[in-house]
Amino acid sequence: MMLSTGLLKLAPRLTDGQFRRARRWAEGVSLWLAVLLMLFVHPLYAEANQMELENAGLLHFVDAGGRWQEPAIILDSEFEIRVSGLIADSQLTRRFRNTSGEWREGVFVFPLPENASVYGLTMKVGERTIVGKVQPKAEARKTYEKAKASGRHAANVEQQRPNLFTARVANIPPGETIAVELRYQQPVDYRAGEFELRLPTTLTPRYMPGQHLAEQSGQWQGGWAVPTTEVPDADAISPYTVRASDVDAGSHRASVRMTIDAGLPLARVISPTHRLETRLDGQTVQVQPEQGRLLMNRDFVVRWRPLAGQEPTAAVFHQRWQEEDYLLTMIVPGSGNARVLPRELVFVIDTSGSMAGESIRQARSALQRGLDTLKPEDRFNIIQFNNQTHALFMQPVPAIGNNLARARRYVDALNADGGTEMAPALELALATPTDGGGAEDPAERVRQVVFITDGAVGNEAALFNQIRQQLGRQRLFTVGIGSAPNLHFMREAARWGRGLYTAIQDPSDVGGPLETLFNAMEAPVLTDVRVEWPAQTGQVESFPARPGDLFQGEPLIQVVQGSAPEGVLKVSGKLPGGQKWERSLDLQQAAEGTGVARHWARQKIDSLLDTARLEGTQPDKSRVTRLAVEHGLMSPYTSFVAVDDTPVRPSGAPQGTDHLPTLLPAGSKAGMLRYPQTATVAPLLTALGLTGLMFAAAIGLLQRRQSV
Amino acid sequence: MSRFFLLLATSSATLLVFGLWIPLKAVVAQELLELAWAESQARQTDTRPWPWADTWPVARLTVPELDQSMIVLAGGHGESLAFGPGQVLGSDDGRGPKVIAGHRDTHFDQLQYLKTGSELRLQDRDGDWRTYRVLATRIVDSRSEQIDTRLLSEDSLLLVTCYPFDSMDAGGPLRYVVEARAGRSGNGNDMEQIGTVAGT
Repeated sequence: MMLSTGLLKLAPRLTDGQFRRARRWAEGVSLWLAVLLMLFVHPLYAEANQMELENAGLLHFVDAGGRWQEPAIILDSEFEIRVSGLIADSQLTRRFRNTSGEWREGVFVFPLPENASVYGLTMKVGERTIVGKVQPKAEARKTYEKAKASGRHAANVEQQRPNLFTARVANIPPGETIAVELRYQQPVDYRAGEFELRLPTTLTPRYMPGQHLAEQSGQWQGGWAVPTTEVPDADAISPYTVRASDVDAGSHRASVRMTIDAGLPLARVISPTHRLETRLDGQTVQVQPEQGRLLMNRDFVVRWRPLAGQEPTAAVFHQRWQEEDYLLTMIVPGSGNARVLPRELVFVIDTSGSMAGESIRQARSALQRGLDTLKPEDRFNIIQFNNQTHALFMQPVPAIGNNLARARRYVDALNADGGTEMAPALELALATPTDGGGAEDPAERVRQVVFITDGAVGNEAALFNQIRQQLGRQRLFTVGIGSAPNLHFMREAARWGRGLYTAIQDPSDVGGPLETLFNAMEAPVLTDVRVEWPAQTGQVESFPARPGDLFQGEPLIQVVQGSAPEGVLKVSGKLPGGQKWERSLDLQQAAEGTGVARHWARQKIDSLLDTARLEGTQPDKSRVTRLAVEHGLMSPYTSFVAVDDTPVRPSGAPQGTDHLPTLLPAGSKAGMLRYPQTATVAPLLTALGLTGLMFAAAIGLLQRRQSV
Repeated sequence: MSRFFLLLATSSATLLVFGLWIPLKAVVAQELLELAWAESQARQTDTRPWPWADTWPVARLTVPELDQSMIVLAGGHGESLAFGPGQVLGSDDGRGPKVIAGHRDTHFDQLQYLKTGSELRLQDRDGDWRTYRVLATRIVDSRSEQIDTRLLSEDSLLLVTCYPFDSMDAGGPLRYVVEARAGRSGNGNDMEQIGTVAGT
């Protein structure tokens, strides 16, 4: 302001000639300045326009200023679970409600139980129901993309990992809802007299080891991670993770209704994760969370226990499907008292960034409890890993006061930070030489590795391979930590490691499952297990083909095709003392069951994949595909697709894609940081001010000229 | 006509003053922060530079090459960025990765001149200096990328500012990121901790 008034005052004092010259000069200068300014400003606008174009059709959660934008699609889920006997059958309905004024495609990456067999997809648009079909993965995707482009309603569900799936829903009309109904079944876990069912609702963001593949063009692919050499599909399994406050208040909630028909009287139904409302109705129990719709930021776990003394020790279920007999059997070996051998225990604890928050506290207390179980004749070591691996002792040391005290201090000081480079840690844990003890025979020492982690990695398959190759005579046990551990990793790592797995839900729950695990770890109660099916004409194919050793409280579960419910099943094994253990089961008692055939098919697919891994070859893709299509199952090579008949989206209307975020698991710290807003309006204001002044000066000069 | 002229002139001048006020504030505040930094080093506590401030100095960042030195404030929110670069990530005990953001128009306008190998020095409240070397600079789209703090190594320092440097758009999505690592210069002196007099 001072500047402009100064100019005005200055002008009249000049003589006419001076003034004219000054005016010409000022005119010239301002003209040039204006031209320069145009040159300066123009490229900026051009640049801005170009950027807008590049990202058309792609919706972002974060706007240019780094502020969070809610996705336009609101997600609502509904679980309806029926447990009968050993199999839980679930119907999961996901509703995608489009709140925007445009047509939308919704993409959602979500977890399912790691042992789920998905066998049905239906899409509901208004009153209409479209039943989905199983197709080979690539073909299904093509069908979907074609329907999407032609403006028809379509839904596609793909398997990324055994416990991770992607749902796509195309052409959701503005303001309307499309529901996608998934049907899946899973075997119920039974251990130490207690059944458990786990419903994952979100996933812990996973670490992707390896080098980034070819630098991408900055185009967002729907996931925050970039494909790496170790995890080529990283972008497909890394949905944006947000806090519950970042989504619409009605979004990302699930209602759960569960009916348990265990076939025997139940003593109690509890959940370590949520408060339950249970209603007893004869032998069936209705269960639902007390809070109604629960936030999808932690697993929902339900456990039920039969009345004392009525725990099942054997069960047979039979299903006849497409001219074939299928049997599902369960036998619980008695709890023989194992001779306890001195052990060498290596604890491996994950201190990567995904464990930050509640998880690392749980892991520390789990580890402390593990140290409690050590006896003076045992040896132990602790290894922590994130990007780097660090062992407390050079080699396993006797579990005596001094060493234990040092270990406890070490554990208390553990902090979670950095990446999850599991491979070196596994290598160190599995490769530590056993003969550190000198004269005493190392053969008598049982070597065990306890792996405490959330399993948030993208390269599971490579790790299983490593476990298999380096295991030797050792055993690997896994303890899952956090609100949403990767149970697929826990279960498979323990299976390849000939051990057991467990998962801890929250700090108060550290005791129960962990106690069971550490007790069972002392020694397997049954080794060298053999299963003999009654001699029959047909070909009998049972899974698991070679049952592993059984631990305390662990049942032997077999599923078989081709055996009619007659004759006697013989199971034998070796008890810790060396005596033979034998048991026979009358198959005629078989109860009618559902889903046995599907369970068998899933086991068969898994075993085909296992064989390929053992032989180091590519899995027999066509065989898996054939099997999956025949049984109507989702698999790594088959997915579901449902397409409506008539196009609904006008050909001109654009369609944006919403990648729905998943919620950050409860108690974990956000690992992702948004870039802050780091520019001020200063240059803009200065430029505007200068331009304005320049115009003012020009007008002023013009006025003078006219008045002269 | 002359009324319109006056209106245009005064409003433009006001805009200009506001525009110049932001960098002026940034420069003046740094002087005040020097005092607060000296005090917080002397007392070893968080010291607010003025009673109503919602941020406090946490470190001093110097760039010997550009002959720049500034006080880093806590937090990456607008309030602290107006007065100095803000520490978005970094633990109190000085361990772990650090992320510092600054306005491209004020404190971090010189960031564009940093090259691979450039030296950065960071002083914490104890007076210890830590030397970082620039590993790389890159441009990211903040709409599609976030900082994965778990992937940052313990000894890394990230400087973040807006990009392009001469843009007028205050809400642009691009960010300029300078990645630096502590003690990667080859001579062993980098990790050496030099005690200094508070406030120097």
